[in-house]
Amino acid sequence: MADISSNNNFALAFGTGTVAATGWYAGATALLTGHADYFVPIGGAIAIAGLIPALLHRNSARKQSRIANLALTQRLNVLDRHLMVNVVDNKHVLTEVNDHLVHVTGFSRNELIGYPVKKLFCNDKGQTKADEIRAALIRGETWQGETPLRCKDGSLLFTQTTVIPLFNERGEWTGSISARSDITRTKKLMAEHETMDTLEELRDDIWIVDAESEKITYMNRAAMRRTDWTNRSYKSKTLSDVMAKDRGAKAIVTACRELKETGEGMTHFETSLKGVPFLVSIKFLRVNSAEDRFLVMLNDISDRHAEEQKKSDFIAMVSHELRSPLTSIKGSMGLLLSNATGELPPKALALLEIAHRNADRLVLIINDILDLEKISAGRMDFDLQDADMAELIRETNHATEMMQQRYAIKLETTGIDHPIPLQTDSTRIIQVLTNFLSNACKFSKPNGKIIVDVHQQENQLRVSVTDEGPGIPVSDQHKIFERFADLENSDRSAKGGTGLGLSICKAIVESLGGTIGFETEENVGTTFYFVLPHFVRTDASDQREEEFREAS
Amino acid sequence: MIKLLHVEDDPDIRDIAMMALEISGEFSVIQCESGQAALEQLAHYTPDVVLLDVMMPGMTGRQTLEHMRKLPQMAEVPAIFMTARAQQSDIEELRAYGGTEVISKPFDPMTLTDQIKRAMELIVA
Repeated sequence: MADISSNNNFALAFGTGTVAATGWYAGATALLTGHADYFVPIGGAIAIAGLIPALLHRNSARKQSRIANLALTQRLNVLDRHLMVNVVDNKHVLTEVNDHLVHVTGFSRNELIGYPVKKLFCNDKGQTKADEIRAALIRGETWQGETPLRCKDGSLLFTQTTVIPLFNERGEWTGSISARSDITRTKKLMAEHETMDTLEELRDDIWIVDAESEKITYMNRAAMRRTDWTNRSYKSKTLSDVMAKDRGAKAIVTACRELKETGEGMTHFETSLKGVPFLVSIKFLRVNSAEDRFLVMLNDISDRHAEEQKKSDFIAMVSHELRSPLTSIKGSMGLLLSNATGELPPKALALLEIAHRNADRLVLIINDILDLEKISAGRMDFDLQDADMAELIRETNHATEMMQQRYAIKLETTGIDHPIPLQTDSTRIIQVLTNFLSNACKFSKPNGKIIVDVHQQENQLRVSVTDEGPGIPVSDQHKIFERFADLENSDRSAKGGTGLGLSICKAIVESLGGTIGFETEENVGTTFYFVLPHFVRTDASDQREEEFREAS
Repeated sequence: MIKLLHVEDDPDIRDIAMMALEISGEFSVIQCESGQAALEQLAHYTPDVVLLDVMMPGMTGRQTLEHMRKLPQMAEVPAIFMTARAQQSDIEELRAYGGTEVISKPFDPMTLTDQIKRAMELIVA
């Protein structure tokens, strides 16, 4: 044993004073030299240590022993370099570890020997496995399977492990011996392989692009099919080549560069490639600066677009079909009300007015539904022109004069004694203002006051309409801009509203790059306002307008 | 009297428009139920203004106008479209197509004559 110990790492590592080590070590010698049939690869070799005492007695000749020892040295050397081996006592305290285990886990021998083996386990899962192994060993069974180990630096190591129980000559369980081979890399490769297989099968196009060189490092089958590139040719391509192939890809390239510049993690947007609409998701994968990558995913949304188109066509058609009969209904009632057919009795006239008013309301609802549909489909037209907010407010006030009279409202305007030039869609702004004003009228008490105010802040224009109405109850405030919001203190039909007006206003203002909101106090009144970006007209504002047009 | 040709497939709307136009006493109206019938009428009748429904089965309002404009006597006659699809984009499109004015449905029978006269004055101006 002495000469083996002097030139063999394995023996040195295990020391000479440990009974258990000597036992399985010598047994393995006999096995490996005398019974070649029992030589099984790596982990399996250790599992036969239980046969050691019997085999020792059968090999007594010194010469044979020397030859055997030499052969054993060679074989153990290989095993020692390949496997992590440790021995624990029956209290699961580490009594021996080999150099390879020390080397791979990063712990020193002193940090392991005398410590519970669970020091090498990584988490609750590891503990569950330890319980399973212990149960097998107590039953005298060998345990084989995967065990994760925790290295000194906290990293995780996956091992294929064989553990066999150790018994003394009286047949008492004294502990166990484990041999582990490192399968971390294999597992990682398998996981990567599975991921790649999944990516290949995806219906979406996947590109992986090196962030530094912008070279395409991976394309799945769908992406190759779309670009007509093969798995050989794409590797020589860059983002610029993608852009050269299809102008629609410019948005993707720009987004990648922006992500890199801002360091943001992810972005989503819609674009079209060769006329096909796509939802693009780009994830900026930061591993370390040398290996930063973009994961680009293109999801074909032409089916969704076709569905949306069908829905929108249907709504437009239904609205049209509703308007034609309404034209006859409203027209007939209008003629009757104007006494075109002779004077009507007062009661008939009153009933006819109710019918006519509700026909009007139906027309408004149809218009609002069409507007909302256009907004949600992103097809509402915005006609940006030079305008004067002061003039738009005067126009709205004029257009709602009848309503102000009906509700006996006193209207005040402030901040419009000078022109307020801006670039906007006048028709849409009047639509929003009319909605604010008509709501204010409906909720005001007779002889109530409504104030329309324009306030210019730095690069912003705030327009507000304040009434002295009952205010909006707290319970309703969160749903004010919802469609057909069911509000507690609002009798919509009595007020003649459609339940869609404010949600349309919100969509319009937001489409014009602004914000909408309200301030309210019960029994005091409510202010509805919108804030629009307000730039003095310059070349830059021309460009912004151009960008807005492109975006909308 | 202003000679007006009204082309509309819906008989109820034809009746209402007729009644609304008669009230003012300023219009003499001929009505047709289709674009085809209107073109036949135009062979022996030249109106001062045409009121044209857009969505009609067979020949649409636009197609009718296109054929009308090929008739030398109809090249400059104001044509007013009436449509139930009167979004801003629809209106602009119809104007670009050669419509002098676009009246949206439902229309107000009491202001219809004013709307027509305003459109005709625009041409004169």
